[in-house]
Amino acid sequence: MQRRLRGTAIAASLAVLATVAAACGGDGGGEPPGEAGRAGGTFRLGIVEPTAIDPYNSQESEGGLVTKQLFVGLTGVNDAAELVPGVAKEWTANADCSEWRFTLTPDTKFSNGETVTADSFITGMTRAGKKSAASDVAYHMAGIAGFDKLQDGSAQTFSGLSAPDPNTLVVTLSAPDCEFDKKTSHTVMSPVPSAAGEATNAGFNEMPVGNGPFKMAEPWQHNKSITLVRNDQHSFGMTKLDRVELTILNPNNAAELEYQGFQAGQFDWARMPPEQLPAAKARYEPMGQWLHEDTNGMNYLLPITEDGEMASKEARLAVSYAIDRQAIIDGVFKGFQTKSTTIVPPVFKEAYQQGLCTSCDKPDPTLAKDLAQQAGLPPGTNVRLAFNTGGGHELWTQAVKAQLEETLGWRVDYAGEPFDEMLEEQRQPKAHGLYRFAWGADYPTPDNYLFPLLATASINKDDGGTVNGDNRGRYSNPRFDQLINQERASQDDAERVRVIKEAEKLALDDMALIPLWNRSQYRLFNAQQFTGGGLDFNEYPPLATISLK
Amino acid sequence: MVTFIIRRVIQMVIVLLGATFVLFACLFVLPGDPIASLAGSERARDPAVAAELRQRYNLDDPLLVQYGAFVWNFAHGDLGEDYAQRRPVNEILGPKVVNSAKLAGVAILIDVALGIFAGIIAAVLRYSFWDVFITLLTTIAIGFPVFVIGLLLQQTFALQFGVLPLFGMNDGIKSYILPATTIALVDAALVARLMRGTLLEVLRADYVRTAIAKGLPRRTVLSRHAMRNAVIPVLTYLGISFGGFLSGALITEAIFNWDGIGLALVVAIQQQNNPIIVGIVAYSVVIFVVINLIVDLAYAALDPRIRLS
Repeated sequence: MQRRLRGTAIAASLAVLATVAAACGGDGGGEPPGEAGRAGGTFRLGIVEPTAIDPYNSQESEGGLVTKQLFVGLTGVNDAAELVPGVAKEWTANADCSEWRFTLTPDTKFSNGETVTADSFITGMTRAGKKSAASDVAYHMAGIAGFDKLQDGSAQTFSGLSAPDPNTLVVTLSAPDCEFDKKTSHTVMSPVPSAAGEATNAGFNEMPVGNGPFKMAEPWQHNKSITLVRNDQHSFGMTKLDRVELTILNPNNAAELEYQGFQAGQFDWARMPPEQLPAAKARYEPMGQWLHEDTNGMNYLLPITEDGEMASKEARLAVSYAIDRQAIIDGVFKGFQTKSTTIVPPVFKEAYQQGLCTSCDKPDPTLAKDLAQQAGLPPGTNVRLAFNTGGGHELWTQAVKAQLEETLGWRVDYAGEPFDEMLEEQRQPKAHGLYRFAWGADYPTPDNYLFPLLATASINKDDGGTVNGDNRGRYSNPRFDQLINQERASQDDAERVRVIKEAEKLALDDMALIPLWNRSQYRLFNAQQFTGGGLDFNEYPPLATISLK
Repeated sequence: MVTFIIRRVIQMVIVLLGATFVLFACLFVLPGDPIASLAGSERARDPAVAAELRQRYNLDDPLLVQYGAFVWNFAHGDLGEDYAQRRPVNEILGPKVVNSAKLAGVAILIDVALGIFAGIIAAVLRYSFWDVFITLLTTIAIGFPVFVIGLLLQQTFALQFGVLPLFGMNDGIKSYILPATTIALVDAALVARLMRGTLLEVLRADYVRTAIAKGLPRRTVLSRHAMRNAVIPVLTYLGISFGGFLSGALITEAIFNWDGIGLALVVAIQQQNNPIIVGIVAYSVVIFVVINLIVDLAYAALDPRIRLS
């Protein structure tokens, strides 16, 4: 099955490598492949049992970590949150962004030797989009024509996808989307070999075969381990590591187990439980094994803006002025968070507008009290503050509660609930008050913060009034919608950034979301044995470029 | 005796049906739709996907219809598919049950060895230093929460001295030592005290004094006459403990990353992964009833005065 045409494969790889390197213009972080560091080595880390590693349903971060090592899609994302070529070496859209054309690098291979063609992508995307797959991530393809028919079972083929020749993929959209290319970096749009079969093919679910830097050494050992070995058929760059061993840890205390494992020398990469961060930093930063990144994610308080105590802008501003973010960061998080003043995270360098939220910088009790009065929420008013249990949010939400009660004299109705329950509550017509909220973009674009969370089209109420979209705060501002639509229709990067910034400012003036702190991530990396550690855009270790020292 | 066993089996079926029905009803009325939300994610499932899954798992049927379907499948050994990974529950729980059973097996051995041995020493050497020492030790051990014992053992023997594996099942018999000891320690303390108590009582009995008077060596008196009677209540207790061990030791499993059903139950509850919850509870009920049956039979075997009625 494994044809090792050494000479041809290496020559072809180097040629492709040169093209890719030229096209990329360099990625941030990690060594360029083929240079420093020697081949070999086994990299060990711990993850929690994923829901799925087959690209048809790979959804959360641990599933994505494995899938990204097994598959390369049309595009990828570099550390600077920029879209870079994957299998597709270039792509264009027509005038109104309703049709996209991807030109693939020819003759790239799956790990079983099969050639990757445009049809491989069509196969992968169709099997994920079918009704019978019931994929939780198929919705990323919702903009492609024919998706609805595929999802409701009336079609078995994806009419919006076509391959006029083996190295060209044409995608027709049901509505124009000038950032559709950003969506193609999601694992659901991975190519699959013809052996993949339907999404319900358990063999492929347990041991997917892809075109990525690694391949499965053996089927997924549920709740035990996933073992990857280098894919020598990989057509994009020379991966150095021989093996990656992922030990599967139980979800309740995975961070503790990872940290202990790192201390005992069993893992080369680890998260840490929040309370251990100061001790870990003191011990490992001098050794150069400490990693910190503010990544693709933000923490907010979600106000329900349609009804209830947070319906007015003054009420929300009062909350924002009353909260002393730095005090919470210093007291609860021991300084291990960065206060945020925006809705869009700093990882999007061009669109980031630091300091945009003036109320986020420092608390202003007098102004807060004033605004609360204006909002008709005098001292003694009941205000709801809910959060999900099991996420370690008890301490900081209690601090927020205390600050609101002290500064504004409100009676905070404080509730910790299981995540599912909280989600349900937010969706109900009678939801009101403030909720702990966090968000991360699926695609490398600030639009993926503003549109799903704040556009009217993202509310999606059903007949009973339940919110099905992600805009559970029900923020609805026609001017904001206008700006967002303008941004989405533009093919000009500079104009998109300009309009996005304006939209974000509008939303923050309305305090549609109350920013708290960025998503700061810390990891330990075994720099004594390995080089090339860092966090990529998805917070994964860059396994394709990590190597032995 | 055969009728006794048959009667107990019928009782087990009734208990099983009752327990699973109550559980089903509780899960049915719980707020929140297990299908609508994605476990561990910030967003709600796509309504089309949620609808497809509700249909696949017959969640729109009334409670009795769903329960009837469950019983029918259960009788055929099919526990359905879980909601998160959509794999057969049997496939998911099988290895976990085996892992928990293996750990329980080692734990009960430690429990028996430590507990009975300590209890005998304390009883036979009553009021001596050893008796006082053991009584004190058991009192302290009973007061220790399981997670403290587990973490202490782990920190000392795995992290500090590095002689035993930190967590997981990968190092053969060495992997079992720390988790099994964690589970067994508190129970062994209770067993020791129970053993001491029953043995002391038996040693005071007339027939024991007669045996000693007849000139039998102490050891024979102990093993042939005293222990047989003293051990009966202890065995009953051990049987129930074993049943408890088999149902999984949640905290120990978490600390030592042991893939067993205790932790699986907690995770399933958090995820509202109902098929797993029902599967584990059904298994636990069966285990308890079977263990109780065995204990009762052993009781009768050990003491001919007891009639199985």
